[in-house]
Amino acid sequence: MKEEDILSKKLVKVVESHGIDRRDFLKYCAATAAILGLSELEFTTKIAQALESTSKKPAVIWLEGQDCAGCTISFTQILYPPAASIILDKISLRYHETAMAASGHLTEKVFQDTVKQGGYVLIVEGSVPSADDRFCMVGGRPFRVLVEEAAKKAGAIIAVGACATYGGIPAATPTKGIGLNKALPGKTVINLPTCPVHADHLAGTILYFLATGKVPELDKIGRPVMYYRELIHDNCRRRAHFDAGEFLTDWNNPAQKDWCMLKKGCKGPMTNSDCPIRRWNNGISFCIDCGAVCMGCAEPGFYAEMSPLYAAESEISKRILAMREAGLFKKET
Amino acid sequence: MAKKITIDPMTRIEGHLKIEVEIDGGKVKDAWSSGTMARGFEALLTGRDPRDASFVTSRFCGVCYSVHQITSARALDAAFGAKVPWGGNLIRNLVMGAEYIYDHVLHFYQLSALDYIDVMAIANYKGKDKDLLSVKDKIVGLVKAKDTYPLTPRYEPDEFSVKDPNIVISAVKHYIDALKMHAKARNMGAIWGGRTPHYQNIVVGGVTSYPDINQWARFRTMLDEQKKFIEEVYIPDVLAFGTGPLWKLATMGVGGGHHNYLAYGDFPKDAEGKKLVFPSGVIMGLNPADIKVGAFDPNKVTESVKHSWYKEKKPVHPYDGEQVFDLDKKGAYSFVKAPRYDGKPMEVGPLARMLVAKNPDVIGLVKKGAKPGAVARHAARAIETKLIADACYGWLDQLLTEMTKPGFKIHDTEHWEPPESGMGAGFHEAPRGALGHWIKIKSKKIENYQAVVPSTWNASPRCENGVRGQYEESLVGAPVPNPENPINVVRVIRSFDPCLACAVHIIDPNTNEIRKFIIE
Repeated sequence: MKEEDILSKKLVKVVESHGIDRRDFLKYCAATAAILGLSELEFTTKIAQALESTSKKPAVIWLEGQDCAGCTISFTQILYPPAASIILDKISLRYHETAMAASGHLTEKVFQDTVKQGGYVLIVEGSVPSADDRFCMVGGRPFRVLVEEAAKKAGAIIAVGACATYGGIPAATPTKGIGLNKALPGKTVINLPTCPVHADHLAGTILYFLATGKVPELDKIGRPVMYYRELIHDNCRRRAHFDAGEFLTDWNNPAQKDWCMLKKGCKGPMTNSDCPIRRWNNGISFCIDCGAVCMGCAEPGFYAEMSPLYAAESEISKRILAMREAGLFKKET
Repeated sequence: MAKKITIDPMTRIEGHLKIEVEIDGGKVKDAWSSGTMARGFEALLTGRDPRDASFVTSRFCGVCYSVHQITSARALDAAFGAKVPWGGNLIRNLVMGAEYIYDHVLHFYQLSALDYIDVMAIANYKGKDKDLLSVKDKIVGLVKAKDTYPLTPRYEPDEFSVKDPNIVISAVKHYIDALKMHAKARNMGAIWGGRTPHYQNIVVGGVTSYPDINQWARFRTMLDEQKKFIEEVYIPDVLAFGTGPLWKLATMGVGGGHHNYLAYGDFPKDAEGKKLVFPSGVIMGLNPADIKVGAFDPNKVTESVKHSWYKEKKPVHPYDGEQVFDLDKKGAYSFVKAPRYDGKPMEVGPLARMLVAKNPDVIGLVKKGAKPGAVARHAARAIETKLIADACYGWLDQLLTEMTKPGFKIHDTEHWEPPESGMGAGFHEAPRGALGHWIKIKSKKIENYQAVVPSTWNASPRCENGVRGQYEESLVGAPVPNPENPINVVRVIRSFDPCLACAVHIIDPNTNEIRKFIIE
């Protein structure tokens, strides 16, 4: 039997057993493989194997600190594969306060048992208050302690969203929220910023880890290169209008509808993420497509350094315009 | 002898909540509700461009983000003197409609249903329905692999739990389906909102998303699918539960509380703005046989910090509030403040809205003997989901007419730049209840910002007079025959759909300007 036929049969089996629409599943695998720059056949085979081994589902602990649950909600929005199939079939979600059936002391026991066992994937959402432990208490204990305990025997650590990665909004408040880069010095943490985390970024990172047992290649601030390689600006569909000097000033004017958002305060020229290509909500839209600015939420400076988010004249926009005048955004042809 | 138990963390809610109850004679005798996380947004907003507020306050909560974005934008509209064109309001309403749909569906299935059904009863399903058998295989597979997380561990099912395998198996199937419907409803909102969580299109003066006709058609088609699910799955499930296995819990009125209800009112049906989807009003000490609704007066709102971890201060209107942490304060047990209306604790949210509106479906259930409480809250939530979905069709029809006219507008461009100074209030009926934001601008920057959110009303601790907050009062009398298994406590709390990240908010420096604010 040819390799393709074996793979095909295997996939059909996997898909049927997981109740996923086969075409959607193949589409998802192919897209993931393409993004990872792997041969489709090689990668889908590995994913198929990873998904088949239901008996050895990897344990996951998902902690929430100074968070808004936005990253959790973002993750549950993924349709291909459906979030329910990831949660029930592909991972063993031991601890997640927003999802788990258990409450109170029952949660504590699951947490301790899983930590003792080790080798789990630790996902952290929300920042750790550095001003005073009492700004975030879970089950009567400081959130900081939970994170440190869980990090010790974790097989992989993923920080999701702006808060858990680099501090996000709480970083600029009196509670002095910090991200895992500061809360867990010396640990390898996979950083998936954006506010909230992009569901595909998280699902893809988990699948990559399941398929290879490895952490994906990271950039110098801990973000997977496969998602954060390029500037938003370089893939923006409004880019031609930036080059032509056409900037949106009036949202009511249909002629300006697709013009560059820079003079409203867009941070796309200084933000790395694949948002313009991947888009959000299963490809429906993303910030710049709905006429809004990029707020720079994939960068460590979010929020304080990106403020004001909307402004025709800000230090950031002046800098970007000066760079434009100097021809720094021109592509070699 | 009385026994005190603590549930911490309270899960399947948004945020960090601790509930303590004292149990005596198999019933809750007293209760304490504590918010255990704070982020302190106030220092962050003060001194910033006012337009940041809509995007920063959205981050209060990742479940109900857009409610803060729109309420903030409304406060800014008032402060900037902006008049939102009807086209802009229609798009605001439509994305908020999407928010109601995904929020309520998610709450019932993902956050609440596990308290009412014995999932493991599925093993006894004897039917032949192919879809349901695949659900059975999935669950039985988990059990065989000895890995049923996150469905276990759990509190043990009790006398009120639904154990009929036929009902349970379809409920679990709907749990899985609902997660998809919830994702699709969020996609629907993202058509104009840009993405979820955290919409990007609502700004002072209107919206940024200039609509095209394909988006319109896409939204409408997706709405059709949602409406079908609401009418054919969600409402029948809630009613089947509420009037079937849970009828006893409903007639006992478990989780009733103070029976004071408050709704600010929201969602004009047309440009004239006279007819609201949710009317405004106040009910004090509900008498189900004769519901008396009074007018809402915003000046009667005060907040107490007597039992909260903030510097001691007499109860004041939100405008005079401040947020100076005092983590060592004696007698304090929560980061949540205690809002009161005319000095009384109030319930806000779907049940309050439907009672204030005298909704015939909810009144019908009450007349049949269902006392307002945990079960009635789920019913009110389902009923109003349909009301808002229906309203979306009306707004879509109007949008099509508007957007195809020459000179169609979505934004008040004249009032985009911040004024030298100004102040304003924004009100909104969020899925979880009455929400208000207040802003004051000086030298084109935020001077102070204040929010009183639905879960602050509901989750509040005691006030100056020692009167319990609504969660606390609702727990009193709840049956807890086994202190090791306080399942009724979590049922009552979850029926409010707590959102603690929102409740522990915010803000603001001292001001004595309160009554100068124009409250529309």
